[in-house]
Amino acid sequence: MSKITLRVNGKAQSVDADGDTPLLWVLRDHLGMTGTKYGCGVAQCGACTVHLNGEAVRSCQVPLDGLAGANITTIEGLAAKGGAKLQALWHELNVPQCGYCQAGMLMAAADLLKKKPKPSDADIDEAMTNICRCGTYPRVKAAIKRAAGVAA
Amino acid sequence: MNAMRIDRRSFLVSTAVVSGGMALGITSAEGAPTVPWGPDMASGAEFSAWIEIAPDDTVTVRVPTPECGNGAMSQAAMNVAEELQCDWSKVQVAFASIRRDFDEKGSYQTGFLSFFSGHSTGKQRLKTTLQLGASARERLKAAAAARWQVPASEITAANSVLSHASGKKLRYGQVAAEAAKIVLPKEPALKPQGEWTLLGKKSPPKLNIPEIASGKAVYGLDVKLPGMVHAALMQCPVHGGKLKSHDASAVMKMPGVRAVVVIDPAKTPGSPVKAQSTFGFGDSLCQWGIAVIADHYWQAKKALAALPVEWDMGGGAKWQDAEAIYSAAKALRDKGPGRDLKKTGDIATATGKRIVDGDYGTPYAENAALEPLNTTALVTADSAEVWTNTQDMAQAFWVAVDETGLAPGKVNMHQTFMGGAFGRRGQGDDLRMAVAVAKAYPGKPVKVIWSREECFRQGRYRTPVFTKMHAVLDDTTGLPQAMTADIGYVGSRPGFHLPLGFSDQPYFNSGVIPNLHLTSSALPVNVLSGAFRAPCFNSHAFVLETFVDECAVAAGIDSLEYRLKLLASWDKSWSDCLKLAAEKSGWGQKLPKGEGIGIAISCWPVANVRKNGTVVAAAVRVAITPEGVLMVKQIDTAFDCGRVANPDAVRAQIEGATLFGLNVALNEELTVKDGAIVEGNFDEYPISHMADVPPINVHFGALSGHERLEIIGEAPVGPVQPALGNAIYSAIGKRLRRTPIRKADLSWS
Repeated sequence: MSKITLRVNGKAQSVDADGDTPLLWVLRDHLGMTGTKYGCGVAQCGACTVHLNGEAVRSCQVPLDGLAGANITTIEGLAAKGGAKLQALWHELNVPQCGYCQAGMLMAAADLLKKKPKPSDADIDEAMTNICRCGTYPRVKAAIKRAAGVAA
Repeated sequence: MNAMRIDRRSFLVSTAVVSGGMALGITSAEGAPTVPWGPDMASGAEFSAWIEIAPDDTVTVRVPTPECGNGAMSQAAMNVAEELQCDWSKVQVAFASIRRDFDEKGSYQTGFLSFFSGHSTGKQRLKTTLQLGASARERLKAAAAARWQVPASEITAANSVLSHASGKKLRYGQVAAEAAKIVLPKEPALKPQGEWTLLGKKSPPKLNIPEIASGKAVYGLDVKLPGMVHAALMQCPVHGGKLKSHDASAVMKMPGVRAVVVIDPAKTPGSPVKAQSTFGFGDSLCQWGIAVIADHYWQAKKALAALPVEWDMGGGAKWQDAEAIYSAAKALRDKGPGRDLKKTGDIATATGKRIVDGDYGTPYAENAALEPLNTTALVTADSAEVWTNTQDMAQAFWVAVDETGLAPGKVNMHQTFMGGAFGRRGQGDDLRMAVAVAKAYPGKPVKVIWSREECFRQGRYRTPVFTKMHAVLDDTTGLPQAMTADIGYVGSRPGFHLPLGFSDQPYFNSGVIPNLHLTSSALPVNVLSGAFRAPCFNSHAFVLETFVDECAVAAGIDSLEYRLKLLASWDKSWSDCLKLAAEKSGWGQKLPKGEGIGIAISCWPVANVRKNGTVVAAAVRVAITPEGVLMVKQIDTAFDCGRVANPDAVRAQIEGATLFGLNVALNEELTVKDGAIVEGNFDEYPISHMADVPPINVHFGALSGHERLEIIGEAPVGPVQPALGNAIYSAIGKRLRRTPIRKADLSWS
């Protein structure tokens, strides 16, 4: 067992769990923050995407024992980190269907826009590698472009 | 059941009043909820079945059709709001309670059957929900009339405000309590469709999106309960096999581990009363399995991986690979005509010289909804409480009753958000396994999670279909004089051998092909099959529309023209869809070498009657490099579902279902080794990403305006697949008769 202190959405959290527990399950089971989703457990689907020290990562691949002092932002904290506009556009453009992948999509999109405020189609294709089984990709792309103020 | 009778019963019974709110429906025999959490309860003291209007004007519509991504719940609320004439921004939806439905002997089921997949615009449901709204509106008017001492006919209701010519105004919430006590002498008539102001006119986004986009939505996997523990589950890798031995002591000392439980199908007690499940229990039976229960899921998962387990794989292990299964299905087919699906004329009378033959196949595929299967259950000696993301709560409820053996009145169910389903969450095998685990660890809520690998290997897969086609073309017209089809289904459950998308299509029902003989056979195997978005249709559409293309080529006729000839005597909207999709795709243009456009058309759910179902035509444009790299450049779809209730919701469903079908055709195949499914995760079972997605243009111009508002989520899955194959043929002259296309060699020179 490891006792690790990390910051999640600006708040210090102390977690006492097995050191190999992935951040995904630390967030969900130990901290009760279920907005971050389990989809595959092998970094394929991106439903578990969070920001770790400002970078989008797949939290199913990040073990707890390397996280002392880390700064984590999850979907629950995205609005406070400048993501409110994206979230509003997700609503306005009726982006989600079942919605399960969308927390990860939003976290990936916010990361992209931070790095490339005016992304090209190719930039979006490269950055957005999350899986959506419902097929909301055209709307995710449209919402990112709208947020960036680039032509649809 | 007679819907009118039920409508009267639902509408005319006066109801109790809650917190000054208005409750429309019938009085519940239930008291306060027994659990502190659950989206099917709008407040701590719920009494109404259908609609509640709070003092602040909030309208809560309780919907028994769960939301799986298609907007079913929002659509039901939109129907109510059309007649209620309330402010849409004050409308919210909640899940209806199946337990309440049972206690009240059918508050929701009849006339509004809780069948999955969101048929909120189905004829009866639409009527029911519109009537609920109209009834509430007239009761509100009557309440205001009583206050103001004026005739109700002088009161208008709009945007959640009641108004009188004298200038008097009241908000709905201000008279809701009084209105709830009013019994109308008769139900108001519904507006004609032409007077609708919301349905078909506006496209509000789904009501639950803010919760989704903020991470607050509670999916099944997100359920949290006091004292809850977590279970990781493994079932016998070969379906139908048994647990031979295991050594629990090897993992009991691992961190957090509380128990190892064995699931034995023989221990299902069965329902103590005659069950009223939607589908019966045949497709939800327990499989042999083993689960580790721990404080946290990660601990349970690790311990399960470390647990020594030996299986008796059973008879299914004889299947060395999937091809062995498919060969057996084809051999069965070749033994002679099986079950007759359709026989017209006499195929022996056909005299044409041009013969077209084709043998087609579609393999096992997995629904792969992004939320892994899961259910949380708390079972005690005399009660059960279940939180699940079912597509059909009437099925789920009775499965829980059947698996606990408790009286239905002792079982409470809670619907959660659902991370996709595509048919996988309809039968209830997922929640049955969870209840079986929780039953073995009574008194604690147990969240049972199927890992992604478990979902892949314990699926209820798309039925593989292998179809041999044969046609004799008329020497003069080039149209088929005779056609035979022999379908080989794989699987033991006849419920998943549906001829939809095949023998119901107009080619076989309009009389255009005078001599027909369509037959099918089925190979029983251990691998379990189930519903997969538009069951069997998604395979049949590929077969039929590829074969029609081959007939067109053999006849030397443009494949669009050929289809128009075949469909000339059927509903005009079929031809309209084909022409529009083709025109928008650039049909007929000279294309560079290696590029091509293919077209196809199909209708779901039932096409053998006119003006029924949703017709979708898809035109797919591809470019293929000489090395065989395929790029889908553009997809144009035109459709006819009659009318649309929410244009943007329809567009979203067509986009998504088209991409779903595209992925099925391009990528999806499960393989088998010694009776067990091989693929376990998305690295072995590719799903399209953003970069793979072509522009999808959805064209509304072929809508017939017929009064039906048909479902839209399934039909587009079909035609895009043969349209893709036909485009590839057009581009490089290679005819693809088997999916997935990624396994085909598309190189050319």
